[in-house]
Amino acid sequence: MLETRDLTKSFGAMQVTRGVSLRLERGERRVILGPNGAGKTTLFNLLAGELAPDSGAVLLAGEDITALPVARRARRGLSRSYQKNTLFDGLSVEENLGLAAAVHCGQGMRLWGDSLARPEVREIVAEVAEMVQLVPHLHARVSEVSYGVRRQLEVGVALATRPSVLLMDEPTSGVGPEMARGFHRLLADLPRSLTLLIIEHDMDLAFDVADTITVLNYGEVVFDGLPEAARGSRLLQEIYMGDWSDA
Amino acid sequence: MFRHTFLRYAVLALLAAAALLRALTAGYFGLEILAEILILAILVLALDMVAGFGGMVSLCHGALMGLGAYAYGVLCVHAGLAPLPALAGAIALTGAVAWAIGAICARAHGIFFIMATLAFGQMAYSWVFETPLLGGDDGLGGIPRPDLSLLGIDLSDSRSFVLFCLAATALAYGAAVLVLRSGLGRSLGGVMHNEQRMRALGLTVWRVKADVFGLSGMLAGLAGALAAMQVMYISPGLLAWTTSGEALVVVILGGLGTLVGPLVGAAAFVTLKHGLSGVTSHWHLVVGLILIAVVMSRANGLFGWLEARWGARLDRRLADATREDTPREATNDA
Ligand SMILES: Nc1ncnc2c1ncn2[C@@H]1O[C@H](COP(=O)(O)OP(=O)(O)O)[C@@H](O)[C@H]1O
Ligand SMILES: [Mg+2]
Repeated sequence: MLETRDLTKSFGAMQVTRGVSLRLERGERRVILGPNGAGKTTLFNLLAGELAPDSGAVLLAGEDITALPVARRARRGLSRSYQKNTLFDGLSVEENLGLAAAVHCGQGMRLWGDSLARPEVREIVAEVAEMVQLVPHLHARVSEVSYGVRRQLEVGVALATRPSVLLMDEPTSGVGPEMARGFHRLLADLPRSLTLLIIEHDMDLAFDVADTITVLNYGEVVFDGLPEAARGSRLLQEIYMGDWSDA
Repeated sequence: MFRHTFLRYAVLALLAAAALLRALTAGYFGLEILAEILILAILVLALDMVAGFGGMVSLCHGALMGLGAYAYGVLCVHAGLAPLPALAGAIALTGAVAWAIGAICARAHGIFFIMATLAFGQMAYSWVFETPLLGGDDGLGGIPRPDLSLLGIDLSDSRSFVLFCLAATALAYGAAVLVLRSGLGRSLGGVMHNEQRMRALGLTVWRVKADVFGLSGMLAGLAGALAAMQVMYISPGLLAWTTSGEALVVVILGGLGTLVGPLVGAAAFVTLKHGLSGVTSHWHLVVGLILIAVVMSRANGLFGWLEARWGARLDRRLADATREDTPREATNDA
C-alpha cells in the first residue's frame, strides 16, 4: 500500500534519513519507534511530500508519488497528523472536522452555500467524531477543550479526509499514560481497511496496536519485524534503554 | 469565516440608516461626499476580504480599482457598449486580472506578498500612462452613467446616483458575506490560520487564494466603474499605489477582518478628510496620528475596539434572553 525505496535526506552535512526502505501492506498497522532525533518526523515529511528526498522514491498503492505535491498525495488517500497540534483554534471541534471533510468532498472551493451544511460533510463529521470519541465536545471551541481532546482532534482532522493510509506522528505525545492507553484502544478500533503508520515514543504503548514494528536510529532502519521479535532484540534494548526499563 | 453578531447587525443598520438619510436630505456637496464614502466602502470591503480573511495584504487594490474604471470607460467610450454591459465587462475583466495576480502571488507571504502586489499595481499604473488609447497623462473623459430611465431613474441627478451607489455598496457587502460564508470562504479561513495543514488535507491552496483574490478584484472593479461614473472622467492617478495605501489605512482604522469595521472606517476617513481639509492643509497628519493611536492601542481598529468591549456581552445578553426557559443553575451545578 505504502512503500519507500532507499529514501535519503540530509540537512546540510547531517544525514537524517539514510536509505530507508519500507513496505506496508494494505490494512497493516506499523509502529515506528526510535529515540528523539532519529528522523521519524522527517520520514513522515518525506512521505507526505512536505520535504523532497535527496534520493529514493515513495510509492502509494504501487504508483510512484515522489514528485507529487502535498495536496495531490492527500487527495490520493494519504493523510497525516502532526506531532504538534495543527488545529484551527478559533473554530469548534465540529468545524475543525468539517473543514477537512469539506475538502475531501470537493466542497472546499464551493462558492454557493456553507460547505459544512452539506449532508455528505456532516456524515463524515459524525462518523469521525464517533471514531475518535469527540461527540461530547463537538460544539466546544478548540481553545475550550483539554489537551488530550485536542490530540484526539488532531487525528480526527486527518481521518476526516477518509484516507486509505494514515500517518500519525506521536498521537499521544504529551498526554498521560492512562489517556494514552485509552487512545490506543481507540486506534485499535479503527477500520481494518485503513493502513496505519504510527510514530510512537513509548515502546510499551507501541505493542498495543502494532502488527509490525520498525525502529529508526540515526535515520537508519535498525529493526523491521514483528513485535515479539522486537521485544527480544538486544540491539533495541540498547538503543531504547530508557523507555524499555520504564515499561 | 465571517459571522454576524448582534453588534455587527446593529452597526450595519445604523450605517445604512445614516447613509439613506443623508442620501435623501443632503445638498450637492454632501451627496458628493457620500458617493465618495460609498465607493471607498466597496473598495475596502474588497480589500478586507483578502487582507482580513485571507492574510493577503494587497497593495494593488487601488490599481485594480483604476483598471475597473478604465475598463468601464474604454468599453463605453471606445467600444460603444451601453453603460450596463460595460459595467459588467469592467467587473469581469478586473476580476480576471486580479485572479491572475492572486494566482501568481499565492506562493508569497507577508512582506513578499505585499511587495509583489505593489509591483503589479505599479506595472498597471505605468502601463496606463503609456497607452494612448487610455488618454495617457490626460486621462479619459466623457464617461457616461447608466441609463435607468426604464425604471424611472435619472442617474445624472446626484441624489439618484448616490442611491445607486448605496444599492451597489449593499450588494457588494452581501456578495462579500456570501463568499466568506461559503465553502471557499471557510477554506480561506483555514488557509490563513494554517496553510500547511490545509494543503495536507488535500486543498489546492493557490486556487483558493486566486479565487478569492479574483472575487475581491471584481468588487474593486465595481468601485472603479462607480468612481468613473461619479466624476465622468478617469485620471491615471487613480491607479497610484497611494490609493491602495489609503484603502489599507481605512481597513486597519476600521477593523481588519470584520467587514463592518472597514465600512465604519470609510465613513470616518472621508468625513474626517473633508472636515479637516477646510480647517487645515495638514489633514493627513491628523489621520496619521489617529492611525498611530489606533494601532498603538492594540485594538483591532475602531470597530474592533467596540467589539472587544461590547460584542461578546451583547451576544450573551441576547442568548440569555432567548433562552430564558432553560434554567441557568442546571448548567452551573454540573
Ligand atoms: N527542517 C530541518 N532543518 C534542519 N534540521 C532538521 C530539520 N528537521 C529536522 N531536523 C533535524 O533532523 C533530525 C531528526 O529530526 P526529526 O525527524 O524531527 O526526529 P524525530 O521525529 O525522530 O525526533 C534532528 O536532529 C533535527 O534537529
Ligand atoms: Mg518527531
